[in-house]
Amino acid sequence: MAIRVNPGLIEELVHFGAEDVQYCYHCGDCSANCPHSDEVFRFPRKWMRTLQMGLERKLETALEPWLCYYCGQCSEQCPREADPGETMMSLRRWLISRYDFTGVARLFYTSRQAEIWTIIAIALLTGIGFLWYGLSFGNIHVYDGDGAFLPSSFIHTFDLTLGSLLALVLLINAFRMWYLTLHNERVVPIPWWLYIKRIYLIPWHFFTQKRYAECESKRSTHIFMPWIIHLFLMLGYVIMLVLVMAFIEQLQLGPAIFWPVHVFGYAATIGLLIGTIYFIQNRAIRNRQIQYKKSHSTDWVFVILLCIIVVTGILQHLLHRTGFLAAANITYVIHLMAVVPWLFRMPFSKWAHLVYRPLAMYFADILRDAIKIQEKKEQLIPGLAIG
Amino acid sequence: MKTCKIGVYICSCGTNIAKMVDVEAVREYISTLPDVALSRTYKYMCSNPGQEIIVQDIKEHRLDRVVVAACSPRMHERTFRRALSTAGLNPYLLEMANIREQCSWVHEDPVLATEKAKALTRAAVNRVKFHEPLESMSVDMTASSMVIGGGIAGMTAALELADAGHYVFLVEKDDHLGGNLARVDLTAPYLDSARDLIVERITRIRNHAKIEVHMGSKVTEVKGYIGNFTARIELVNKLDNILYQPDEVKIGSIVVCTGYKEFDASRITHYGYGKLPNVITSFEFEKMIKAGRIETKQGRTPKYIAIIHCVGSRSQEFHTYCSRVCCMTALKYAHEMKSAIPGCYVSDIYIDMHAFGKGHEDFYTRTSEVKTLFLMYDKNDKPVIRPTEPGDNCEMLIEVNERLSGEVIEIPADLVILMVGMEAREDAREMARLVNISTDKDGWFMESHPKLEPVATTTDGIYIAGTCVAPKDIPDTVAQARAAAARVLAKISKGKIDVDAVYAEVNEELCAGCRLCNTLCPYSAIEFIEDNGKPRSHVISALCKACGTCVSSCPSSAIKGRHFTDQQIFAEIEGMLA
Repeated sequence: MAIRVNPGLIEELVHFGAEDVQYCYHCGDCSANCPHSDEVFRFPRKWMRTLQMGLERKLETALEPWLCYYCGQCSEQCPREADPGETMMSLRRWLISRYDFTGVARLFYTSRQAEIWTIIAIALLTGIGFLWYGLSFGNIHVYDGDGAFLPSSFIHTFDLTLGSLLALVLLINAFRMWYLTLHNERVVPIPWWLYIKRIYLIPWHFFTQKRYAECESKRSTHIFMPWIIHLFLMLGYVIMLVLVMAFIEQLQLGPAIFWPVHVFGYAATIGLLIGTIYFIQNRAIRNRQIQYKKSHSTDWVFVILLCIIVVTGILQHLLHRTGFLAAANITYVIHLMAVVPWLFRMPFSKWAHLVYRPLAMYFADILRDAIKIQEKKEQLIPGLAIG
Repeated sequence: MKTCKIGVYICSCGTNIAKMVDVEAVREYISTLPDVALSRTYKYMCSNPGQEIIVQDIKEHRLDRVVVAACSPRMHERTFRRALSTAGLNPYLLEMANIREQCSWVHEDPVLATEKAKALTRAAVNRVKFHEPLESMSVDMTASSMVIGGGIAGMTAALELADAGHYVFLVEKDDHLGGNLARVDLTAPYLDSARDLIVERITRIRNHAKIEVHMGSKVTEVKGYIGNFTARIELVNKLDNILYQPDEVKIGSIVVCTGYKEFDASRITHYGYGKLPNVITSFEFEKMIKAGRIETKQGRTPKYIAIIHCVGSRSQEFHTYCSRVCCMTALKYAHEMKSAIPGCYVSDIYIDMHAFGKGHEDFYTRTSEVKTLFLMYDKNDKPVIRPTEPGDNCEMLIEVNERLSGEVIEIPADLVILMVGMEAREDAREMARLVNISTDKDGWFMESHPKLEPVATTTDGIYIAGTCVAPKDIPDTVAQARAAAARVLAKISKGKIDVDAVYAEVNEELCAGCRLCNTLCPYSAIEFIEDNGKPRSHVISALCKACGTCVSSCPSSAIKGRHFTDQQIFAEIEGMLA
């Protein structure tokens, strides 16, 4: 069955950052250079073509963009300056918007205005909400314990509710991702036990980001640096998330903080700090590496919010410790005003990479295994082998 | 038989001949033959010192015949004939033995090769004894000329000739000048107006004192030979047969610039041309842009436009050749469409993108910048166009097996433009017969040499230029037209035409007037004379190419090929077999 061409798709992808796809004339230099492109998953050229032709239905099923870590080699060597690396990045943004059933991701990616105003609105609502709560039920001069301005139990409940909501959205989106990529007619039959056999790959890829290192090792300069920084940032996020979600009460407690929380809290803060500085440095000095030359507006929102969170987080901690409790409470509200929109954006933005990328690696390995099984089967039955 | 003094020169051609043929042994053997007064070997006979040896020997030893055993006469016969002339000997008293191409290059046994070289040289020695001194003739060159076809090629050639001060008859069968170019709006790759290219030329031609334009006319008869043609020009639509008098003109040369016609797209059935209303040809699209309105038959502005390349070209069923201009024209349409209809989508469905000319590759890049969707199909797997069902937001769907992705896809289209190729005009063969030139398998006129003589034909005085020779773009066409005019002007400025002394002669005493030779002559060089007495055939020496067909066909042996007499040929054979 012929697939219908949508010549307008290439225009649509411009909003997601793919501005130069049309220059590609399919020499295949990018695919030849890519350390991750292999027999089963070939990219970027194939997907540049699919995008040029606007084969939406096919693009939706692609796992390949997730296998790309944007080392930038393809874009550096492209003879037509078609920027395949950026195209893969844009396709990831587009896929995030495709997986997302709420339509928020699409709105954020296609309209900078909408994104900024939504974030401002959420921040204001959060600020007003917490101020109202604190002023009505607590004392601005008390940071923790009884009569606290923002009691840790209340924050804990709030965190868990928000966290569960976002997790639910992400879960549904992840399911949609599975449905689009593995549950379609293009794909070979996948035995159910493969899903279980390969389940370890999700945490493995999530924590190590191993393939990013593979990608970087091909480059002559900054061999492990970006991978290590990336790892720092990742672990920082995760530790902080766990601390906030599970140990907020201990974290907010007075001087006698449970020591592991203390240690991990500082470690996570340092990780986040290093990562944030590195990103700002790269994005601000745009010519450093090809992958940072074209930042999408949503990437900037991410970095700015992260800065505010890190700075207010540290400041709040310092103020609390030095006894400026009212100031600490106000800083806390500002901190929350950044944290809530930042968390809210999570399933709809680059943050979602955290979930989709390990999932895609997992799916890709399952698919690889399934293809091998299928090939073996076809070899056993004469006449069924694919030429 | 009279005795002669023959000088024989055996060339080593560096090692080309000497490595396989023992040239000294050949020389020793040849020197023993009767009538050989002198024999020498030399490293390069064709070099200036080599020629000088011949000249000196002729003068010193009073040689009256020369044999050069060296390369093919096609290579250096002229060189050695000139050497004979320099020494004061008639150039036709030379004979060459080809011991390179037909001997040293093709053999592996030096002993046998040397024997063969001896035989070839002996044959030449035997033949040269019967050579006669021949004199070249010259005929007058008429300065006025005729250009057939008033397209860009014809107009350029006519202006070039007339500006040089010579009278030109320009014959155009239509009632306007400009040809196919007049049907075009803009030209690729610089998007200049085609109108600007031709209007100035038409005005100049109309007012030129040296150009006589015959509009709505065609040439119905051409007689004579280079420098001395007479042609009859007749109106295509004769209104009054009784009063009408065709023009007889006397001319020295003819430039044929009859152009091309476009391929009939309805011959390819799965494109639905003629059945689907919104499938149009490139020339129909040109008409739309000239009118300034691009719309479907239903009067709507098309949103999806598809361009299909190579319609009738590069296919086994129709024409195997490439029409050369359609790729750039298609890119031009993409540009025009993108600027005329903002937000439209252009799909360019091609086999290969031929962007070979100056500025073409840049034009291709610029077209991809405006987001033209390029899709590649296989020439053995053509796209299929079908109308859509109600509910689709376009008029047609084009199914293509796209090669760069390997996917079978459907492309939405409201308007499909078929890039029809060029083909030879239906009257090309008739025209070729009229001016006595040949056509190739596709009906294009044949050059006398595809690389070295691109505008000359096998008939002297007849030149070809532009798209009647093969598909080509405007710059190439104009270059050819000017080249043809330059060839004519070269002849005119020389004033006289030298006719080769080698041609066939009819012994009119012996001719029975059977007219067999008249029909066989491939160059139409034999006329039949019926007046004053005995009917007989007569060879127009200026037209004769000395092919020998009439000589061998004449039942009364009345025709003699000068320089190829029976006596000479038999002597050569005897020498070979001796």
